Amino acid sequence: MLRLFLSLILTVSFFGSFSAKAETELWGDYSGVTLRVKLIGGGQYEGLYNEVIPWWEENTGGKIEIVTQKNHFELDKEIKKDIASGNLDFCVASNHTSFASQYGNIYTDLNNIMPASVLADYTPLILEHSTVDGRLVQMPRHSDVSNLYYQKSLYEDADNKANFKAKYGYDLTPPETWDQVKDQAIFFSNPPDFYGTQYVGKEEAIAGRFYELVIANGGALFDEDYRPIFNSAAGVEALQWFIDLYNAKAVPDGVLNYLWDDTGLGFASGTIAMNLDWAGWAGFFNDPENSKVAGDIGLVRAPMGSGGLRTGWSGSHSFSMTESCPDKEAAASFLWALTSNKAQMIEARGGLSPTRPAIWDAIIAEKKAEGDEFMLMVFETFKMSLAEDAFTPPLIPEWIEFTNVLYPELQAAILGDKSPEDALAIASKKATEIMEDAGYF
Amino acid sequence: MRKFLNGPWVLLMPTLIILTCVVLLPLLLSLWTSFTPFKLTKPDTLYRFVGFRNYERLIGDIDFWIAFGRTVLFLAVALNLELVFGLGIALLINKITYGQRTLRTLMMFPMMFSPILVGFQWKYIFNDNIGLMNNFLREFGVIQPIPWLVDGILANTSIMAAEIWSSTSVFAILLLAGLLGIPKDPIEAAKVDGCNSWQVFKNITLPFLMPFVFIAMTIRSLDVARAYDIVQMMTGGGPAKRTELLWTLISRTGYVDAKMGMANAMSYISIFLSIAFTFFFFYKLVEARQRLSYE
Repeated sequence: MLRLFLSLILTVSFFGSFSAKAETELWGDYSGVTLRVKLIGGGQYEGLYNEVIPWWEENTGGKIEIVTQKNHFELDKEIKKDIASGNLDFCVASNHTSFASQYGNIYTDLNNIMPASVLADYTPLILEHSTVDGRLVQMPRHSDVSNLYYQKSLYEDADNKANFKAKYGYDLTPPETWDQVKDQAIFFSNPPDFYGTQYVGKEEAIAGRFYELVIANGGALFDEDYRPIFNSAAGVEALQWFIDLYNAKAVPDGVLNYLWDDTGLGFASGTIAMNLDWAGWAGFFNDPENSKVAGDIGLVRAPMGSGGLRTGWSGSHSFSMTESCPDKEAAASFLWALTSNKAQMIEARGGLSPTRPAIWDAIIAEKKAEGDEFMLMVFETFKMSLAEDAFTPPLIPEWIEFTNVLYPELQAAILGDKSPEDALAIASKKATEIMEDAGYF
Repeated sequence: MRKFLNGPWVLLMPTLIILTCVVLLPLLLSLWTSFTPFKLTKPDTLYRFVGFRNYERLIGDIDFWIAFGRTVLFLAVALNLELVFGLGIALLINKITYGQRTLRTLMMFPMMFSPILVGFQWKYIFNDNIGLMNNFLREFGVIQPIPWLVDGILANTSIMAAEIWSSTSVFAILLLAGLLGIPKDPIEAAKVDGCNSWQVFKNITLPFLMPFVFIAMTIRSLDVARAYDIVQMMTGGGPAKRTELLWTLISRTGYVDAKMGMANAMSYISIFLSIAFTFFFFYKLVEARQRLSYE
């Protein structure tokens, strides 16, 4: 338990132009304490640090020393090297629900550190996803789930409506199912100038997209014993969806080298009709300085697969505290500050999805008051999606290693090097070896 | 003891200690890990000896051997093309009498870029949608975009183009140094005897230059693995492993999958490749020197 001078102050926070629900704050006097931290870097993430670090230092007298600030994949490698060398000389690090289970027990169980009144301010399901083997190893920063952005004018065009109905036999409206996405993507495509849609095509990104489509089709990646079962009708159907779009040239030829920046910038370039993407891109897409589709964007919940479920691959960015941290109460205070109402409101204004229910209410109220219909639509859609559709990947240490054997086989099938059945059979065999080696069966 | 303290060993000790710490111990440690299931995230696995299990698995791993073969092909083609282009540039620069220093400096520009930056640049050049190459070709009526970084042959060629652009100047500089050191007398004598330019190049310039060629080849074959960053940036070894080289495979196995024991086993097998290349070039170097001294 924390030492004596940890102070809990129940207050009502006022910041900016809104007032949020009562929040348990976690201040203390940490004069002379310096916390070494390793943080995820990049434009989308660093604004938070510029505001919260001075705020925390001013209120506690402590100091923050940023040891590392790099993208999450590089940070992941660095932390793995730190574990191997036993050199865990930092207190706080960025984390993610999909990565956390890899790191063993280097991070403290925050159930023993954070007062229950603080934890009560977060969405319970997200805290559950932040828990590994019964240990709460991270405080959630913001959550991610994807929904479908589209160019509104394409759906309002009378010729498009008539031609689509004549060709496919149903009305052209924003898609409700992934089969409709495929029809509409092929209909809108006019390569190389315009494509119906796109997808992230490599590494964990395409593996995650495949995973959520398998779930939406009524399948699963693993059974209860973690034996791979994605080589199934649902799996083949999911993979065939990627193949059909690629063969129809409804996605750019280079899509298998695309990651998140490529798809985001692609939609903003105005050459893509529909784009499944995260909430964090919304502000960028609707900014005329960055985007050619600003003012012409619609958004619907991620469509459904053949199993009647919506896709909803989800995860949360987070912060963790090392077990070796010598100033745990100061680190707890800093973790709270990084995920506090103030911090989450800063990120929500940039379009990121908060992990505190109070901030959902506050940001929606703020956007209503401002009359910002677009961002209001974004927050309402993502709130519903996170509440009803979101599911995490299997929270197991082998997740990233598993995606590394899966994605080359998905790519091989998309490029026509293998049939979908063969590709999934090979991936399934390799995945079985990984799970056997890890001792699941 | 006094004899030892006064002997040459004392003078060699600092070097031996540093080499042991910096080279020998890490090599022995990595060799040991290749006989363990060592995972970065599970430090305890460092002490679990599994014999040749990692090596046995690699022997039966077709993906590893395909990457191995592709790496050999990549090395052979890239190094030879770099040699040809570097020799051509060196010969041209050697001919000019005005502005040679400026050209030598300009020639070194690609070496000043970090491989990561080179990878970014060439990824952009070969991007199928917004890349310079496809937009350039479009001006000449090639409307359908060419998937430079997707098609197997094109993707490997694109990576090789980036690597050759980045490193040809190393060859050019070393060969230019060789050209500047060739004595003028035999060349002038050959010309007086009626040899044409090709005969002078083939029978005098090239034999004098061969030791420099093999020194350059040896150096480049050892540091060509720096191209890892270029490959990682441009394709990451994909799509569908079409551009997978040993370096991308080992890096992903060791740092992303955290299976450092397996990655080190891969490294030790691939070390034989480096040793084979280096041995071959040293053998050719000695041979070229001997031939030069006989002549």
